[in-house]
Amino acid sequence: MSPSLFLSLLVNGVAMGMVYALLGMGLILLVRAVGILNFAQGDLMMFGAYICACLLLDFELPLYLLIPIAFIWFALLGVIFMFTIYWPLRKATYSQATIIATMGASIILQEVAKIIWGSQPRSMPHLVLNSEGDPAVLQIGSASLQWQYLIIIAVGALIIFLITQLFEKLYVGKMMQAACQDSYAANLLGVPSILTICATYIIVAIVCGICGYLVAPVFMVRSTLGTLQLRAFAGVVIGGFGSIKGAVIGCLLVGIVESFSTMAFSGYKDVTVFLLLIIFLVFRPTGLFKGKIGDKA
Amino acid sequence: MRDNLNTTRRTIIKFGVLLVAVVAFYFLVSTLCTSLYTMMVVDIALIYSLIAYSVSVLLGMGGELSFAGVSFMGGGAFLLANLTTGRLGPTLSPVVSFLLIIPVFIVIAFIIGLILLRLKGTFFTFATIGLVQMTFAIYNNYKPLFGGADGIAGIPTTEIFGTKLMNYNDWFPVLLILAVVVGLIVERIRTTPMGRSLAACRDNETAARVLGVNVYMTKVLAFTIAGVLSAMAGGLYAMLTKFVSADMFTYASSTKYIIMAMLGGVQSTVGAFLGAFIVQVLPQILSAFEGFLQLFWGIAIVLLMVFMPEGLAGIVKSLGRKFRAKNKKKVAAAAAAATEEGVK
Repeated sequence: MSPSLFLSLLVNGVAMGMVYALLGMGLILLVRAVGILNFAQGDLMMFGAYICACLLLDFELPLYLLIPIAFIWFALLGVIFMFTIYWPLRKATYSQATIIATMGASIILQEVAKIIWGSQPRSMPHLVLNSEGDPAVLQIGSASLQWQYLIIIAVGALIIFLITQLFEKLYVGKMMQAACQDSYAANLLGVPSILTICATYIIVAIVCGICGYLVAPVFMVRSTLGTLQLRAFAGVVIGGFGSIKGAVIGCLLVGIVESFSTMAFSGYKDVTVFLLLIIFLVFRPTGLFKGKIGDKA
Repeated sequence: MRDNLNTTRRTIIKFGVLLVAVVAFYFLVSTLCTSLYTMMVVDIALIYSLIAYSVSVLLGMGGELSFAGVSFMGGGAFLLANLTTGRLGPTLSPVVSFLLIIPVFIVIAFIIGLILLRLKGTFFTFATIGLVQMTFAIYNNYKPLFGGADGIAGIPTTEIFGTKLMNYNDWFPVLLILAVVVGLIVERIRTTPMGRSLAACRDNETAARVLGVNVYMTKVLAFTIAGVLSAMAGGLYAMLTKFVSADMFTYASSTKYIIMAMLGGVQSTVGAFLGAFIVQVLPQILSAFEGFLQLFWGIAIVLLMVFMPEGLAGIVKSLGRKFRAKNKKKVAAAAAAATEEGVK
């Protein structure tokens, strides 16, 4: 394998890993906050991609207007999601019911997107274009790297950094964490758990939406975009539930393995990714990093 | 002694009701479904009921959510297709191949269960998703065994006791009997020591362990039963449609089977049967609303989980409980009135 090929595969892998990591981080935030596995995570991303495509292509908003308006829509999506899928089920006696409800939500999001925007995939322009309007590439030696992938890596790393800072340094983040760990005690101390849960859902929806915006140029905007979440699941399990750091590393690993196995045997890349998952599950079920909080899910 | 008599009488009544229901169902379907197409829909619903049973065994009795059903279903279907078309060398008749599926998948499902059930709860669910993704990729790509994207066609017509099952009409009674018999077996499993220990693991694992239940092996056994049921369904599907291809066995279709079981009621065998029917038949009836059907499913699932997580069977059960409570109240009131009168 030539070094230039190696470099471009690595960049592709890390970029996809970053997308999975953003999805996976959202999964962990939800598991920690409400103990629910969200099977609609990828579909939130898909919906975010559609919202961005709609704002960008139909309303032709410039970037400085697109970002705040898209954020408002993402946040709204998060709040609606919380009050329809989580809130009525928070006291469900049957623990699988909440998981299956998110599976239902996944179908609803896909179908609503199809009904609103049609089933035809939409293409989004890359974020960085060259003078001819094609996706711009960065030449390093003989390797050509797409700017889109580099932007995904940079934005992903920035978001992950911001969210870990939020939870570790800021008072609000500590409040949210307290409410996750013991909501009863936190309530006694005056932390409104409904607000912290709501905030978690909003953050998760925004992160998913940004993810959708970033991957849309690569995969096109279509209702099956949500299937990317399966790899995020794999990455999260490999990294270990309960720790954001572990999930990020696990997801990056999945992205890189996927990228290199595409090269070696394209049809079987899913086999390698999920074989990795099962090997990890069998030999190291706690994941690479043990979480601070025990298995809540 | 009286108790014993009562239970036997009750079983006889239960069997009688079941027999009447099955016969009524048979005649209802035979009169309503006149075209071969509607018959095919019903036949496939009967096959799906086997998978719904498998979800009911694992999720309803054991409390473990597994997506692996489609992997075994695909395995069963492809094994049958390979054996009957002679791709592996010898050509066997469909019935013999179908009977072969059972021991083969007892072994395979047992081994996979041993591996996957070392994980608990959510992790187990994830591992089964991984399994589904892997098997789909293999079924879809490995040509020598699975025919790649083209699938395997040309499975010969099934012959039972000298009669050839030519079309969907001929298949209907066979599948109905199979679905009922397997349903009875599943219902029986519920009351065996294994079924009861499974329920104990679901409700409180620590307590079950304290009482001496081998939680791990019980769950592996349940996984094996579920796997064999799914594989049988796959084999039947291959025999019925005479064609197998990998796109039947995706993650998306596995969610459909879980929804079937949840809709009917995951704790109940009859519920699983009805769920399979509703999910398979309702779209055909409502085909005018094609575009909105999936959306309707999604909303129905969420509402179902919010208002009645035990499915349709749960509603029936709670209605029955209410009715009985009312009756008891009436009896109690009558008794109280009688004693009052006596006092006077």
